Amino acid sequence: MSDLDRAIAQLRACRPIPETEVRELCHKARELLIEEGNVVTVNAPVTICGDIHGQFHDLMELFRVGGDVPDTNYLFMGDFVDRGFYSLESFLLLLCLKVRYPDRMTLIRGNHESRQITTVYGFYDECLRKYGSANVWRYCCDVFDYLALGAIVLGASYTLPASPGRPLATPPGADVEIEVCNADQQIISQFLRKGRGDPPNGSMENGVVQQSNGVSSSTPTNTGPPGSGASGSSGGSLGNPAGAVLCVHGGLSPLIDSIDKIRLLDRKQEVPHEGAMCDLLWSDPDEIDGWGLSPRGAGFLFGADIVKVFNQKNDLSLIARAHQLVMEGFKEMFDATIVTVWSAPNYCYRCGNVAALLELSEDDSGLGVLARSNGDVNRSDGGFPGGGAGPLRGVLTESEVDSKPLLPGPARRYRVFMAAAQDSRGMPAKKPVADYFL
Amino acid sequence: MEPPPPPPWDGILPHRSERNKSTSEEYSPSAIPTPINFVNLKPWRKPHDHKFLLPKKLINNGADLTFFHTTEAYRDIMEFVMKLNHSVCPRLLSNGRVQTFVLSEDEEDEGKYCVQVRRVREMLGKVEQVIEQVPAEDYADRRFGNRAFRRFYEVVFGKRGELFEGLGFNEEGAMAELGVYLMGSWGSPERLDYGTGHELSFLAFVGGLWKLGYFGTGEVALRQIVLVIIQRYLQVVRRLILTYSLEPAGSHGVWGLDDHSFLPYIFGSAQYTKPIKDEDDPVPLEGSAPGTPKPSEVSNAASVQNLRKENMYFSAIGFIYDVKKGPFWEHSPTLYDISGISHGWGKINKGMIKMYDAEVLGKLPVVQHFPFGSLWKWEQATDINMRPQGSTLHAASQPVPTTILPTRPYMTTDDERVVKYIEQGRRSSDGVPGRASNQYSITKAPWAKD
Repeated sequence: MSDLDRAIAQLRACRPIPETEVRELCHKARELLIEEGNVVTVNAPVTICGDIHGQFHDLMELFRVGGDVPDTNYLFMGDFVDRGFYSLESFLLLLCLKVRYPDRMTLIRGNHESRQITTVYGFYDECLRKYGSANVWRYCCDVFDYLALGAIVLGASYTLPASPGRPLATPPGADVEIEVCNADQQIISQFLRKGRGDPPNGSMENGVVQQSNGVSSSTPTNTGPPGSGASGSSGGSLGNPAGAVLCVHGGLSPLIDSIDKIRLLDRKQEVPHEGAMCDLLWSDPDEIDGWGLSPRGAGFLFGADIVKVFNQKNDLSLIARAHQLVMEGFKEMFDATIVTVWSAPNYCYRCGNVAALLELSEDDSGLGVLARSNGDVNRSDGGFPGGGAGPLRGVLTESEVDSKPLLPGPARRYRVFMAAAQDSRGMPAKKPVADYFL
Repeated sequence: MEPPPPPPWDGILPHRSERNKSTSEEYSPSAIPTPINFVNLKPWRKPHDHKFLLPKKLINNGADLTFFHTTEAYRDIMEFVMKLNHSVCPRLLSNGRVQTFVLSEDEEDEGKYCVQVRRVREMLGKVEQVIEQVPAEDYADRRFGNRAFRRFYEVVFGKRGELFEGLGFNEEGAMAELGVYLMGSWGSPERLDYGTGHELSFLAFVGGLWKLGYFGTGEVALRQIVLVIIQRYLQVVRRLILTYSLEPAGSHGVWGLDDHSFLPYIFGSAQYTKPIKDEDDPVPLEGSAPGTPKPSEVSNAASVQNLRKENMYFSAIGFIYDVKKGPFWEHSPTLYDISGISHGWGKINKGMIKMYDAEVLGKLPVVQHFPFGSLWKWEQATDINMRPQGSTLHAASQPVPTTILPTRPYMTTDDERVVKYIEQGRRSSDGVPGRASNQYSITKAPWAKD
């Protein structure tokens, strides 16, 4: 559709599209999103991204580093808007790409995709400033209500395919579990999967292969890559033993013990102040046992035990989430059962953090990929039979959960990048000031 | 009986009940210069006759916020801000020349400061030395704010007696009451953040000293409070922010005025307004002093480097340049837009005062931490006509009274509690900031109770 391609070109140049086009785009996007389930099924390969917060030029850098759409299959875990200067351009571009390439672009909802939050944290002000009215803000908020709450990634490879340059001296036959690359496709460090029988919390020291002149020279030697926890537990079986990956903006909810329960929520509404839907978008993992009160005043804190039980019960190997600034761009926690991915470099122009994206590659072993159809329209890859892991495995009792081993995680490639260069942006006209100054 | 006189900010600030109307005409420039006659705020003669109180947090909900705007405390804060603002306005001398008041980094100027100003300045220097003694820590689970700030806070807390001694204070009650405001000035050890609420606390500390007659009645002292004491305080705070990566307590990202500060934009714009003839003239609401820089210089990095040495507005802008990377218009669009104002620094000054009243004194998340005692009183002001207080939209949308929320630990001088808190802070490993602020490393739910 040429109109859409033109809008994409205009937004890629960081120029907002007219209000009438926004209305039309949002209408189309809604028609598309309404057909998606609360939990979208996505086939690997996929590139998973965290918070963007209106950092448009850094989003362009992300596409440069991760590959352009539709060549790369993207999954964005929400928080497209607020705080940054270009929430509007960033969100509308992602939405255009979603409408143009629905199979190659998955957008899930973050806690900032909400009317109430955007009036406090900037997106509302931005729309007013750029259009002189709140109409565009309203259209966008109507789309927010239809965004999926999570995604399940299936068919991610247990092993990492060779990248163009693999200069590191990996031991023969070694399985690379985690690879960290910089924005220029150079490998900074690799982390090997532990062999069978290794103690699950054993030192990673022997598994680390590092380039001495890597960007991330401060990488700890015994705790995994920057921001990462220890390796996944036992692995090494044939085929594709990697479990599925759940992607959600914030984290878990005490009201949700299975992915099926997420599917049952009525999501088409403003993010509520409490309840399961709120928790999925607001919660954070923390070094605690069980559940804790969140300092945010919404959602909960949850500990390693919660993640372990949830992953076991739902045949997950990993939860990927965003929602928290992490200085290294990503941070694996709790024995690599959960990872935070953060994609807004030098957040708010001053935090000095790097950003990351997470690549999960396609399993080509011919095993382990399940036929799926969950009725998603406009998605050729369908979904899980019957939805979720439940029907496949049956409901697990507590004792079964206890005895079931954790599934090993897929091989993970993190690409770390910094804020886009700042030089060539012209100075715009000054806009009318707030009422105070009239 | 005659009706009480209008408040001194009448004509500058709109009725509270009108401030949330969508159209701006209601309180646009029209009705200007109203002479600012400070009838209420005068230094007291005999502070030792006075019964001091340990300040308490009393604003818990929207109704309290509405009441706050009728209190003596609110009246006195606004009057003190405007008094200070007035004191740094340029003067037209009888010989036709214009005298402006600028910042000075020259140590020789110290001799010109009155002794009380010098003492407070020295006290701030002692606080700054603590920063040197307590370097930031490197720890594995660090998120953004550095928890070494808690140690800094603890050390300063322990030195309170010494700091007051340096000021020449020995009265227990005054030290206890003022100490609460002083300790509220450095940021939150719990959340590892700093914002305009903390800045307000310092204003209340200095204002409290002034009310007690510490600085006397002269205008010179007021001017030095702004250009020497508040500027020195801001320097210390900027160092705190840099050293301990204190987060903005209330950041709207690029869409706020400034991540941390407000007062330097008020007083800095006053430094450049059109000159006034004598002490009784009101602050001009339009126009600039001759030879002052254009507001648009804020986006010229080289000019900012020069001007930050003489002017508080540019000093604050300079700090933004220090900490933020990227085009100025992009990371600070509100300040950029303000820099396009064509009616001079007086116009900017008036807008800043209105904005301070609405965005700082009018916002529950900011003022709910402000404690009230004998110097800043939670009592309805009856001597001036505060006019019928329509509840503002903001106040009306705040939580209604339910339970009494606990006092924030850093706002009390109850030593035992603070020490206990500090110990807890030391034990806790998370350092996760949160609660009442919109820091950028986490977003807090606006509906959360703090």
